[in-house]
Amino acid sequence: MRKRVISIVCAAALTAGLLAGCGQGTENKEKKAAEADRDSVVVTMPTTSEPEEGFDPAYGWGAGEHVHEPLIQSTLTVTTKDLKIENDLATDYQVSEDGLTWTVTIRDDVKFTDGETLTAEDVAFTYNNCKEKSSVNDFTMLEKASALDDTTVEFQMTKPFSIWPYTMAIVGIVPEHAYNENYGQNPIGSGRYIMKQWDRGQQVIFEANPDYYGEAPKMKKVTVLFMEEDAALAAAMAGEVDVAHTAASYSEQAVDGYELFAVQTVDNRGFNLPASDPQEKDGITYGNVFTSDINVRRAINIGIDRDEMIENVLNGHGTKAFSVCDKMPWYNSACEVEYDPDGAKKLLEDAGWKEGKDGIREKDGERAAFTLMFSSGDSVRQALAEDTANQLKELGIEVTTEGVGWDVAYDRAQSEPLVWGWGAHTPMELYNIYHTLSDTGIGQAEYSPYANETVDKYMDEAQETATLEESYELWQKAQWDGATGITQEGDIPWIWLCNVDHLYFVRDGLQVAEQKIHPHGHGWSIINNVDQWSWE
Amino acid sequence: MNRRKKVFISLLASSLILLAICIGGMFCADTARLTDFSRKNLSPSLDCLFGTDWMGRDMLARTLRGLSISILLGILTAAASAVTALILGVVSATLGKAADTVITFCIDLIMGIPHILLLILISVAMGKGFKGVALGIALTHWPSLARLIRAEVIQLRESPYILIAEKMGKSKWYIARKHLIPHLMSQFLVGLVLIFPHAVLHESSITFLGFGLSSEQPAIGIILSESMKYLITGKWWLALFPGAMLVLVVVLFYKAGENLRKLTEPGSVHE
Repeated sequence: MRKRVISIVCAAALTAGLLAGCGQGTENKEKKAAEADRDSVVVTMPTTSEPEEGFDPAYGWGAGEHVHEPLIQSTLTVTTKDLKIENDLATDYQVSEDGLTWTVTIRDDVKFTDGETLTAEDVAFTYNNCKEKSSVNDFTMLEKASALDDTTVEFQMTKPFSIWPYTMAIVGIVPEHAYNENYGQNPIGSGRYIMKQWDRGQQVIFEANPDYYGEAPKMKKVTVLFMEEDAALAAAMAGEVDVAHTAASYSEQAVDGYELFAVQTVDNRGFNLPASDPQEKDGITYGNVFTSDINVRRAINIGIDRDEMIENVLNGHGTKAFSVCDKMPWYNSACEVEYDPDGAKKLLEDAGWKEGKDGIREKDGERAAFTLMFSSGDSVRQALAEDTANQLKELGIEVTTEGVGWDVAYDRAQSEPLVWGWGAHTPMELYNIYHTLSDTGIGQAEYSPYANETVDKYMDEAQETATLEESYELWQKAQWDGATGITQEGDIPWIWLCNVDHLYFVRDGLQVAEQKIHPHGHGWSIINNVDQWSWE
Repeated sequence: MNRRKKVFISLLASSLILLAICIGGMFCADTARLTDFSRKNLSPSLDCLFGTDWMGRDMLARTLRGLSISILLGILTAAASAVTALILGVVSATLGKAADTVITFCIDLIMGIPHILLLILISVAMGKGFKGVALGIALTHWPSLARLIRAEVIQLRESPYILIAEKMGKSKWYIARKHLIPHLMSQFLVGLVLIFPHAVLHESSITFLGFGLSSEQPAIGIILSESMKYLITGKWWLALFPGAMLVLVVVLFYKAGENLRKLTEPGSVHE
């Protein structure tokens, strides 16, 4: 027993020590603020943002699961603030009649940071290398890239792909002469910044590239620290960082000398409703009896009060989501619906789902119930799942929530709804979610059983158009063409809940330049334009 | 009132408190999962004694439910471990050299691997969740008790009354049943109760580390790991009460075990 008393005393002493440590933070903060360099900035990011394989586009840097500008390397094109396409390295690009050849001319005045000139050879090498190695991004539409001369590169495609410029906006060009298996650790590029130092698991330090061909970066030094949200908040409280990423649950916290900064996103959360009848293949069940009823899916879509959800779960820091691509140029506003609980109940009644004794609906002995999964440890998705369960209970639908790991989530989502996060700066997202894949699973859409020939057709056509503008229209038609689609009036195989604002504590005096709508991933997007940030 | 009575009353009291927590938890099963976003992040008050968390769940209900899950798991796994230990201990000491070598090897093997590591391994291999944790704890907590029982049996086997029974031609099974097991009962019981606190603590630690129960369940490990994220914002009640209750439960089990030992083996006081 004595030992136990001693350990309690030790714990108390430790706590006291910690509290004393907090006290010192304030002095530290003032000192830091006074000393702060006028042209450097310290930014925190989630630990998951650290690129495991290094800063190599072939292994997902910029062009991975979360897309962003690669900073160290430059890209052929860039996306603008309204997510249209502009030239960067490219001076012009053209696509052939049949859509199978893209010809891109590039600037001749660009040098890598080791002094060598960037030529079309490097561009071709980069793309061929990505096609060969990339496991995180799809390059199957590319047949081969080849350099015609020093400033002209030609992409031969396996199929027409009108949104190729969006791929060109995320692939950073690497130097062929300095590329080896260690490139990810010592990247050389022609971008706005040079990577100076990388302490794995802790930080990356970037310095401005003095020979950058575009406008010289205003921020000369950018330090990125990888840490969890609670550590980021502590770092902000101690005044050690300039921009700290944070979550809605911390947003009410006032931090002296910092202001909360919210960036609009297309970082959406939603859940899938398997749209086919259950069948088994290779040990995986595809489809779900309850959610294969189209009226159920429609009732759920209008029976969810998205405003209440955003207020409750996100403390108001979010926007209602109706599709996977809200606010993008290819978004069809027909996806929008109004909250209508009575309409939802009527839909269920008419479809034969009658209220049972315990308030839960039934039809032919089948209970109106499903399990809604979320990824374990993600508090926002958990709260969204719980709130969905509460709201659907009002309609007479019983929802049980369950936390699952990603090791089993993909397979189980084929038959049970799962809370997902999506959102990217490319319409391919629509294709990934709604288009059927004949050679996987039961030949329906990849992540949740759904198939609609008309929707498929529009998306196939969209990839074959000559210009981006024409393709936008077809992508919109894939969502709703007046008769069929994936909206409320259509098949509604996915329910979209909200776009989660990306929140940051930003030190007073730091001007974070206007942000593009952020895609999924609370990491690198914030420093897409760090070169334009400034201190007052 | 003599000391024996005092010890008995103290044992009774700790058992009653544990039982109360257990039963309380069973009634809280639904309340513990109920989310109500209109009352999130409330600090402790008379309405909700332990406050609420970021989804408006009542922390008192969650704590009770979490503890009752832990206690239930503890009873299940402690019983399984103790029975395994008893059987293996007796077998090892009575069935001859070969059996003894194999079982001693198993004991050394399991005791040689860090406890928590083996637990995580088994739990993950069994697909986590209740099943994974239960199997993990049951399979890792028997060796120390088994070793104790084995030593005891070896010593007993040489005692005159057992040697005499053997000479009289009694079967091994008869000796084990009539002479060995009654003698071992007190050690078995005390060992059983003393595995409890270990089981409870190990359940909450692997759940805390994310290898145990799934995150929608109100387990103490989940509650504590969630509360870690909010400590920085000053929500002390999320960690303090559940943590203190966990310590209380463990201490109660420990005391109960000690008291039980005092009652069943009065001689142990002099050790």
